[in-house]
Amino acid sequence: MKIIMDGKEVAAERGQTIVEVARRNGVYIPTLCHVPALEPAAMCRVCTVELVEGRRTRLVTSCNYPLRGDAEIRTDTPMLRQNRKVLIELLASRCPDAEALKELAERYGADLNRFPAEDRQCIMCGLCARVCERVGGNVLALCGRGVEIRVDTSFGRLSPTCIGCASCVQICPVNAIRIEDMDGERRVIVRGKEASRVQLRKCTSCGIHFGPVIDLGPVLDRAGEGGVPAFNASVCPACSRRSLARRLAERHFEQHAVESPDADEEG
Amino acid sequence: MATAISTAPDLAWTKKISSPQELASFRQAILASLDPNAPRIRVCCGTGCKAVGSLDVLEAMKTAVAAAGVDVHVMPEVKRTGCHGFCSRGPLLTLEPQGLFYQRVKSEDTAEIVQKTIIGGEVIPRFLYKPPGSKEAIAKVSDIPFFAKQTKLVLKRVGRIDPFDIRDAIAAGAYEGIAKVLAEMTPQQVIEEIKVSRLRGRGGAGFPTGVKWESCAGQAGRHYVICNGDEGDPGAFMDASVMEGDPHAVLEGMAIAAYAMGSDRGFLYVRMEYPLAVQTLTAAIRQAEDLGLLGQNILGTDFSFRVSVSTGAGAFVCGESSALMSSLEGKVGRPRAKYIRSTEKGFRDSPSNLNNVETYANVPEIILRGGQWYTTYGTERSTGTKVFSLTGNVHNVGLVEVPMGTSLKDIVFGIGGGVPNKKELKAVQTGGPSGGCIPIPSKFIDINVGFGKLAEIGSMMGSGGMIVMDENTCMVEISRYFINFLVEESCGQCTPCREGLTRMREILSRITQGEGREGDIELLEEIGQFTNNFSLCGLGTSAANPVLSTIRYFRDEYEAHIRDKKCPAGVCKPLYYYEIDSEKCTGCGVCRKRCPAAAIEGEKKKPHTIHQELCIKCMECYRNCKFDSIRIM
Repeated sequence: MKIIMDGKEVAAERGQTIVEVARRNGVYIPTLCHVPALEPAAMCRVCTVELVEGRRTRLVTSCNYPLRGDAEIRTDTPMLRQNRKVLIELLASRCPDAEALKELAERYGADLNRFPAEDRQCIMCGLCARVCERVGGNVLALCGRGVEIRVDTSFGRLSPTCIGCASCVQICPVNAIRIEDMDGERRVIVRGKEASRVQLRKCTSCGIHFGPVIDLGPVLDRAGEGGVPAFNASVCPACSRRSLARRLAERHFEQHAVESPDADEEG
Repeated sequence: MATAISTAPDLAWTKKISSPQELASFRQAILASLDPNAPRIRVCCGTGCKAVGSLDVLEAMKTAVAAAGVDVHVMPEVKRTGCHGFCSRGPLLTLEPQGLFYQRVKSEDTAEIVQKTIIGGEVIPRFLYKPPGSKEAIAKVSDIPFFAKQTKLVLKRVGRIDPFDIRDAIAAGAYEGIAKVLAEMTPQQVIEEIKVSRLRGRGGAGFPTGVKWESCAGQAGRHYVICNGDEGDPGAFMDASVMEGDPHAVLEGMAIAAYAMGSDRGFLYVRMEYPLAVQTLTAAIRQAEDLGLLGQNILGTDFSFRVSVSTGAGAFVCGESSALMSSLEGKVGRPRAKYIRSTEKGFRDSPSNLNNVETYANVPEIILRGGQWYTTYGTERSTGTKVFSLTGNVHNVGLVEVPMGTSLKDIVFGIGGGVPNKKELKAVQTGGPSGGCIPIPSKFIDINVGFGKLAEIGSMMGSGGMIVMDENTCMVEISRYFINFLVEESCGQCTPCREGLTRMREILSRITQGEGREGDIELLEEIGQFTNNFSLCGLGTSAANPVLSTIRYFRDEYEAHIRDKKCPAGVCKPLYYYEIDSEKCTGCGVCRKRCPAAAIEGEKKKPHTIHQELCIKCMECYRNCKFDSIRIM
């Protein structure tokens, strides 16, 4: 399989997506809705590239286009640059202050204020919904249709299935989701609206709250053999370290006591 | 009022037909029981006629016939084509064996029709159809130009059979195709025959059907045969009429496809807004299964094929194949990128073949008569016929089936009867919201309607919607209408379609309200091209077509809106006013009496004037002036 990217032949394996090949070969393709760990959704469209197959040229999204034969790919033509510029300008009206967009705007010469801003605090990349499906409790989803589409919980209610893992917070490129740990509860707040509330685990030793109380079944199922033992802890990580240190020290002294009868004098 | 059409006759007592020969003798038996000279009254019970009370007429007719005691078989008839512009004026009847065509029939007329026409053999003139501009009434169906100029392959049984009685369909030749396939053809031969016919998908994209079947058949795994009955284009009702009028054609086509691809399971995805189609299809499936024409061991062979009807939930985008399959799986109907074809990995990640209703309906006839025969219709690259739903400013609104390559002129003027009210024809919009507007008058009136030709001039065939527009149509407003439709129907997942359409709607609304700015046209073009280039699915990549095609052909109209703040067609209310031409006005007073806002003043037989501050621009005066003295300024 011979793949030519921007005029240069690059190494590629059959079935790899264009973006995988590009990343591996140091070719830059912008993405907003793609992380390698999740199934590509091709929603933001900014990674669109030109694919020359024989005599015809097609526009394809590089995040999910699997290469299955010889192909020539152009990742940065004037036509692509122009369309990416419009795309960023349109997205900027949803989310004018997003750092991710500012960077791209600079690269493609986009005017972030071309269209009137309606601050929706979300660029609709759908990453939170996809990561929640894979990692979390399938709480967040794309709801509604057309212009009305938004990230929300079922029926807009507080979700009972959230495990408080905060993957959505980590993955959101525009920081539209945050968590607040307060009064023994964790709140996941999506664009200012509370999406779920999860009870926090109280350390049996020092009494601070340190992680969500969750139904371990589904998590362990997903984690497979071995599981995630840390979730079972009843003491917080700090206390856990402290108690480990204490045990180590105690054992050290016990051993010393056995080896040298005059340990007490030395200690 | 009668609420439901007679339900399906119970055929469960009938023995299953266990061989193709037995089907032939079953057909002969039905035909022998029918007297060709017996009078038959067919009442149109399509959605259009149903809306104006054809079910009541049907009941009244049954009662009248029973009371008169004549030997006649009343059957409900779904005849969408019969609606050609007269739906609003009343239900339609055809009377056999004379071949009479009656329109505007009311329940109370039925006794008279039975007495005079059925028993007395007399034609009642007031029910007859008069072509526009002609004083001569036409009695026979076959003499009416609207019907005479059509070539019916897909619609051949629609309107002739009772869709709720499979025996009627069998008598008219249904299931002969599947019998032939099972008796003497291999799956490869079936695919070969379809390829010879050069049949192309009727859903809009025009992909060669035979090639699609072949690539699906070559895949490993369980195959699914899916029919797209989610017809959502505004003004399109071709598939509805086939499903409502001749459900067996679709089912037989699907069964043949299933045989060709080695499938045993099929789904019909029908939009929820077609309750009648769901009824007819469900009844047809049950009856066909009762007779062993679908289901387990069809016609006593090893071939089994089970079909079920699945309804959509009102989303236009579910007509897109990947969204449809997603919806069928019970997920949200959002399209996915089709870099791996559905024929390889579609419904439930299995090889799936999806065709449109009309495509399947073409199949049995191709099998029976051969692919070569099919290519005698249409053009080299677009074979066969196409059903168009002709709507808008045209005399004969209705469904027309013509060979591919028929000129627009023949469709709009020959069959459609031209534009009413002596207006000029301005444009024809084809292909639904994703299509484009073809400007007329220009050389395009003679264009041959086919897949390639329409795409060349910036429109598309689409599923066959055809909206005729007269001089009082504002092209800016038309594109705003379609964009507005698409904004609501976009699935919203991809940026270009969601954001681009929203912005285009915003700009177009501004222009139609008289707040257009210099540079708006260029901005529309820029966003439109971006949307068409970068969108995910077919809806997005064609969404800007209404805007781009109207800008291409009617740029001056956009400029008039933006620069001169004028709407030349007199549609965008803030951008025009009416004025009475004092030289033409005879002072007849019609406008004054008609005006609901009392904005027109004037003495008898003297020119009238309009008080602009009172005028609500309802168009009442403009439409009713016999002297053409009211002008749009």
